[in-house]
Amino acid sequence: MILDLHTHSVRSDDGRAKVDNYCQWIRKKELPLDGFVLTEHRQYDDTSDYRDLEDQYGLLILKASEVETDYGHVLVFGVNEDLTRSFNFTRVDNHIGDVLTAARRCGAVAAPCHPGRPNVGLFAHYERKGPIDGVDLVEIYNGGSRPGEDEMSEAEADRFGYRGFGGSDSHIVSRIGYAATEFDDPIRSIEDLVSALQAGRCRARTFR
Amino acid sequence: MRFSEVELGDDLPETHPDISMDKVRLFVKAAYMDFPRFTDHEFAKSEGLPGAIVPGVMSQGFLAAMIHQWAPGAKIHKLDTVFRTTMVVDTSATCRGAVTDLDEDHHRVEVDLTMLNHEGVTSVIGTATVELAD
Repeated sequence: MILDLHTHSVRSDDGRAKVDNYCQWIRKKELPLDGFVLTEHRQYDDTSDYRDLEDQYGLLILKASEVETDYGHVLVFGVNEDLTRSFNFTRVDNHIGDVLTAARRCGAVAAPCHPGRPNVGLFAHYERKGPIDGVDLVEIYNGGSRPGEDEMSEAEADRFGYRGFGGSDSHIVSRIGYAATEFDDPIRSIEDLVSALQAGRCRARTFR
Repeated sequence: MRFSEVELGDDLPETHPDISMDKVRLFVKAAYMDFPRFTDHEFAKSEGLPGAIVPGVMSQGFLAAMIHQWAPGAKIHKLDTVFRTTMVVDTSATCRGAVTDLDEDHHRVEVDLTMLNHEGVTSVIGTATVELAD
């Protein structure tokens, strides 16, 4: 089962993709995706209901969040009420340790995305400030990466012993599926996704 | 290009606009925005930029031109862009588009837009709502 774990819709300030258009694009282009996760910037969307679209297109649509920290951007899967009260999702300067600790305490998974990106990626911060504890999963394939960034992400993740996943980071419809994650077991819910990521029963894929 | 000829997922023909200094100078004079960050590489570098940069509205113009080359006479109702990184003057650029939605009632299409710089890095993303002839 293959899911794109990093997508943005019009709910993100720089997103220009409607969720239904993602669905029809996936089907029209026959992309090898079974679903995708919406990771809106600095927020958790607890109101939108995509069950009708899931039924219409036979796709799994899950919701997560992309938050910002002093070590770059971090995807958080399994957001719940406890977690949204643990730190301020809207801030751009959350301490990454706070985010990682809160996610673990609340049964969620927090994973730095595009870690190989200069200036804003996790590993650029490592060069300046040194590594931190608590990271065990990073996005090694990002659909928006510039040449060389994914290679750096993969190499550094390997050096630090981090597991990897993939996501397109799509902000427009036609970019969905550039990178994704393949799971060993069926994923039917956000709980399944969190369990699979925690267990490492998945691998990053790139389709660029 | 007529609405009946368009399918979801169609790619627009790629374009390679001229972003040489001569063209940028002509544009900024016509647009009354003749600032050295667009026309002077050394000045732009002194501001921390990698070189003189292509004005954002000029990039939007190139994307609109791509749409009109694909569908002459089409009416662009909306063109909405996000600028992700700079386009440096005197390099090369590529504009791409893809049809992502069809509105049968109004004969309008949604088009994804991207502009890539000389390194293949996406500098501009966006969408357009375009009305086509019957």
